Amino acid sequence: MRSTTRVRTLFTAGALLLVGVAIAAIGVGSVAIPPTEVVGILLQQIGVGTDAAASLGSTAIVMELRLPRILAAVLVGAALAVAGGVFQSLLRNPLADPYVLGTSSGAALGAAVAILLPISGVAWELGGVQLAAFAGALAAVGLVWRVAGIGSGEERIASVLLVGYAVASLLAAALSLVMLMSGANLRAIFSFLLGGLDGATWPRLAAAALPLILATTLLALRGRPLAALLLGDEGAMHLGVEVRRERRISVALASLATAAAVALAGLIGFVGLVVPHLIRLAVGPDPRAVLPLSAIGGALLLLVADSVARTIGIPVGVITALIGAPFLLWLLHRSRAGYAL
Amino acid sequence: MKERERALDAHDQPTMTPDASYELLGARDVRVTINDVEILRNINLKIGVAERVAIVGANGAGKTSLLRALSGTLPVASGEVILCSEPISTLSRATIARSIAVVGADLALPFATRADELVALGRLPHGTGPGGPTAHDRERAAAALKRVGASHIAARDVRTLSAGERQLIAIALGLAQETPILALDEPTVHLDLKHRVEIADLLVGLADRARTVVAIFHELEMVRDLFPRVIVMKGGQIVGDGAPSEVLTAARVADAWGIPVERAARL
Repeated sequence: MRSTTRVRTLFTAGALLLVGVAIAAIGVGSVAIPPTEVVGILLQQIGVGTDAAASLGSTAIVMELRLPRILAAVLVGAALAVAGGVFQSLLRNPLADPYVLGTSSGAALGAAVAILLPISGVAWELGGVQLAAFAGALAAVGLVWRVAGIGSGEERIASVLLVGYAVASLLAAALSLVMLMSGANLRAIFSFLLGGLDGATWPRLAAAALPLILATTLLALRGRPLAALLLGDEGAMHLGVEVRRERRISVALASLATAAAVALAGLIGFVGLVVPHLIRLAVGPDPRAVLPLSAIGGALLLLVADSVARTIGIPVGVITALIGAPFLLWLLHRSRAGYAL
Repeated sequence: MKERERALDAHDQPTMTPDASYELLGARDVRVTINDVEILRNINLKIGVAERVAIVGANGAGKTSLLRALSGTLPVASGEVILCSEPISTLSRATIARSIAVVGADLALPFATRADELVALGRLPHGTGPGGPTAHDRERAAAALKRVGASHIAARDVRTLSAGERQLIAIALGLAQETPILALDEPTVHLDLKHRVEIADLLVGLADRARTVVAIFHELEMVRDLFPRVIVMKGGQIVGDGAPSEVLTAARVADAWGIPVERAARL
């Protein structure tokens, strides 16, 4: 059986790898900066290093352009992967992803409407669209929650999934209408739908960081009730879990994490679907192991994908789909060959 | 005192104090309704330490509902269920899960899950931190698997096991919970004779170790053989509670299942 020690080792190794990859990723770009200089600049910023070897130009590139973007990739990747793992466990469905309750459609519609609104001003430019996406995502989940009766004790998983699908379809239709009427703004809406971290500036990151870090951390530590839910509602109750309460808390936290991630980075697919499955392949299905490791895995995947995206100028959402979709197909192929998700 | 020591030894439950006033599991005038339809009524019973009790009755008689009410997953409309001398409504879900393990219907799992991983989930009520089952949890899970004779399939994906093997794993999961009471809902349904005999012998052995076993059964011949006490249900009520020779007479079986007496006499 897979041991706790192994999970801890994997987590520590993954975290160290993540730091290494992040430092390397900061150096990647049109102006290449060697990792030693990146470390020097970062240490200097927190007042540890004293040598003023780094040029002002490099410092500005690292601090103003790349660091916020790298941090955003780490936080968004971790949030999406953990939220995806939570929804898969909660809904007992391997195909669930963070957007399963309509978050993506709500965020997209919110962003599209905000892009079309004739509002301008410094505060709006700073994050009006992001705020609208955040609100749209939460509104969509709120609607699904109400209609499906999440936490009432009456809800059935199939009906939660169907209500999520219905709400998402409704919002997608509304989005199509908005896009038809958007005229010159179509491109801006389209780029939000593709997802990307181009817009990850310090102020936006600062606004999104609290819900992202808080919800992701709390979720990653909620493996125990979710582990019991592997056995279904009744089975989880027999293992001492207050199913209704746990479902309310988990859906709320996962939706908050997803909404904040979508607001900051648009619609980035496949991270939340694929990463938890990858982790399950390595450590088994117990969410107590899957969720913390998914946080590391999601951060790594999005960080690497975004670095590739920056280098070759393709939206990161396209890269994650290019990595994720074939991987999913491979998993499904394997499941036919004997291994089951 | 000997029984008390055995009880404490068997499942490490400091709350176990089987003196005269101690009530392990009981129901007082329990009535249960679902959507205003009466599912159970006038349920009164007491089940003591190390008892072996079978619940029998026709389909829809309320057997599963009774088990759910006794384990606190089905709320009662009136009356009270008593668990370890406390009203179950005052106990937290986690406390209940440390006192009564319920082996339910067939296991359906959303992801590939090894048998030993699944059985280790039985340790959840005893509190384990992030990261997964501890070394102690895994040891208890392995012991439970060994107890049901399923050590050889510990590393198999539960979803690829046969119905009989899955039932053994489900019982091991209940055992890993290490509760004074083990409740089982039709543990031998869909199983062939060999598996039925294995599970029956296992349940007898478990009760002999000071664990109380309450199980729903359909096979009356097995119940007569193995269970000193039988509760017969009909229409949401208990219509018989006693030794098989008293409550499983031809006349009472005919009444409870709605079959001709001559036919019941041949069962």
